Amino acid sequence: MRKGVRYQRWFTPWVLVIPALAWLLVFNLWPSVNTVILSFTNARPIGGGSFVGLKNFETLLHDEQLRYALLNSVIYMVVCLPFLTIFPLLLAVLVEKKLPGITFFRTAFYTPVVASAVVVALIWQWILDDRGLVNGLAEKLGVISGPLPFLSDQWLLLLSAISLTIWKGLGYYMIIYLAALGNVGRELHEAAAVDGASPLRRFIHVTIPGVRGTMVLISILISVSALRVFSELFILSGGKGGPGGRDNSVVMLIQQYSQGFEGNLGYASALSIVLFFVTVVPMLVLARLNRKAADA
Amino acid sequence: MRSRRLIPVAALAVAAITLAGCGLGSSDDTSSDSKPTVDANTKVTGEVSLQTWALKPKFTSYVEGVVKAFEAKYPGTKVTWLDQPGDGYDKKVLSQASAGQLPDVVNLPPDFALPLAKQNLLLDVAAADPKLSEEYVEGGIQAYQYQGQNGTFGYPWYLNTDIDYWNSAKFTAVGLDAKNPPKTFDELLAAAKVMHDKSGGKEYLMSRLPGIGDFTNAGVKVLSDDGKTFTFNTPEAVALLEKYRAAYQAGYLPRDILTQEYLGNSKLFTQGKVAWTTGGGNAIQDFQKDNPSLKGKVVASPALDTPPLYVQGLSVSAKTKNQAAAIALARFVTNAENQAAFAKIVNIFPSTKASGGDPYFSKSDGTPESDAKVLAFASLAKAKSLQPAVISGATNDFINQQISLAIAGKVTSKAALDAAVAKANQLLTQ
Repeated sequence: MRKGVRYQRWFTPWVLVIPALAWLLVFNLWPSVNTVILSFTNARPIGGGSFVGLKNFETLLHDEQLRYALLNSVIYMVVCLPFLTIFPLLLAVLVEKKLPGITFFRTAFYTPVVASAVVVALIWQWILDDRGLVNGLAEKLGVISGPLPFLSDQWLLLLSAISLTIWKGLGYYMIIYLAALGNVGRELHEAAAVDGASPLRRFIHVTIPGVRGTMVLISILISVSALRVFSELFILSGGKGGPGGRDNSVVMLIQQYSQGFEGNLGYASALSIVLFFVTVVPMLVLARLNRKAADA
Repeated sequence: MRSRRLIPVAALAVAAITLAGCGLGSSDDTSSDSKPTVDANTKVTGEVSLQTWALKPKFTSYVEGVVKAFEAKYPGTKVTWLDQPGDGYDKKVLSQASAGQLPDVVNLPPDFALPLAKQNLLLDVAAADPKLSEEYVEGGIQAYQYQGQNGTFGYPWYLNTDIDYWNSAKFTAVGLDAKNPPKTFDELLAAAKVMHDKSGGKEYLMSRLPGIGDFTNAGVKVLSDDGKTFTFNTPEAVALLEKYRAAYQAGYLPRDILTQEYLGNSKLFTQGKVAWTTGGGNAIQDFQKDNPSLKGKVVASPALDTPPLYVQGLSVSAKTKNQAAAIALARFVTNAENQAAFAKIVNIFPSTKASGGDPYFSKSDGTPESDAKVLAFASLAKAKSLQPAVISGATNDFINQQISLAIAGKVTSKAALDAAVAKANQLLTQ
């Protein structure tokens, strides 16, 4: 009897783990390993390919399109990071208050999050078009003499996409901050108020330290999604990556290279590896900064 | 300790590189699977599959009728008809080809068929069917013959071309005559200037960037004779780009064409935002259906220069287990009788020589729709494939990006064309 129990103890965990392990190996680990393998080949969607060593990575070094894509990704991250870390927090502090009708504002701020990225980007395309709402209104008001090239200028297009991301992300991160604010002890605020701290000082010295962990988490999420941006730039640029493809993101480049019968899967895989490292760096930096701040 | 940690990483790297070396087939495989093992006289029987592209539900009864007629003509055969949705058809075919599960007979345009032919996944139908060149128009057959590939890799099914459409109301408003529209590219540019100037910069005539087809039309040799290098960075191509660039800088083209897809041209025309577009013989019906206010305002005329030739065809999988039935089915679906019947319900044009004399295509009933159809059919006689099938999606994207840069004035036309040719050659040889 005791032997039987011991026997079951030995294999029962494995039986329970095997489905999850198989899933992990087949759908998580293998695609990643396969991407690494493919990056050393000139594989096509059909007909396979052959081992080309580091050729794809050498080509990457001279790829002007990649340079623009990386620059765009970094600009995206640098602009989105402060905006989407700070403004949702301010928004959360505002809508946290229990006032009549505040639910309406919470819902209104959250609405863009619910809408599909594709739908939102299409709406923005109509708004920012040469004959769209913004240009039409501005021209009627006499603010501008000719339409601003929101969708046909390299930098304005990037800025438009960033604005869209910020607009759409505000509500999402606001909700996360709302949950975090609930954990900041009310007694701390009350004690600070008794000590004569102004609302601004209470925000800086009580609220921010209370949600610091959440801020780091949000910063990491923003960095990762900014570096992997796709739908906003894809749709606003009509899938073309802006004039001359200079508004491509790395993900758009991967998509362009891998699509179709003649898709270059090897090069697209090499690009994916570059994207992986580019994404990991800010995550590590932010995590390290957080650890240092926590130790201090 | 550190070296111990490195062992699994090194093992993984070695395994990955080893797998990379041995796990992938060589692209230089030269086996001749494309040659048929049966001829046209082999008895036709057994099961065969047919894959079409977005014909359900609009043409279900037509295809089912053709299938039934085939089964009746060849007793003992059974056709399984598969219809794939319009979006993502290339991806579907790609996954079927990679999995070795291509249907026996499959609808593939020439640019889809080329990569499959290169991998010996399609049958050389001309080798099994000596009457091919007698029965189908030359342009249709040529579309399935590729430089460097020996054979014909599809039966031409139906054809189409583009003609020009003009918005007569916009023409009249600026003092132009839509019944006497531009006939050359230079006349088009001149009319674009008039439309821009007379409307105070509010109206546009042209709304598309030049593409490879425009280079071909301008007399530029796009590809070398051996099909191994691109050659479109010539002074003629530079001159064409310069004309577009000057027109763009002068405001004769909408700015957002730099980021619009090619179809932006007809979308803007349908929305009444531009006065010229190109489209097939039946496009006039779509314009008027999508924007009824265009009714009576659309005037058709022949395409500028050489009209483009668009071909659809049926290819036979080299891996089919029933070559005789597959070849017979592809031939049956594309025969003159079935093509003519199809063309009458879908507004495309048959690719068989026998259909050329059908008055349905060559005589108008006087309506603008019928006039456009007859005009397009007449244009087919001199239509040519203006873009080589070797231009892949990625190559096309890069070329268009460079053209955009040149038009926007970010780089010189010569530099853009040189960069486009260099990249296209690199992608061609990969």
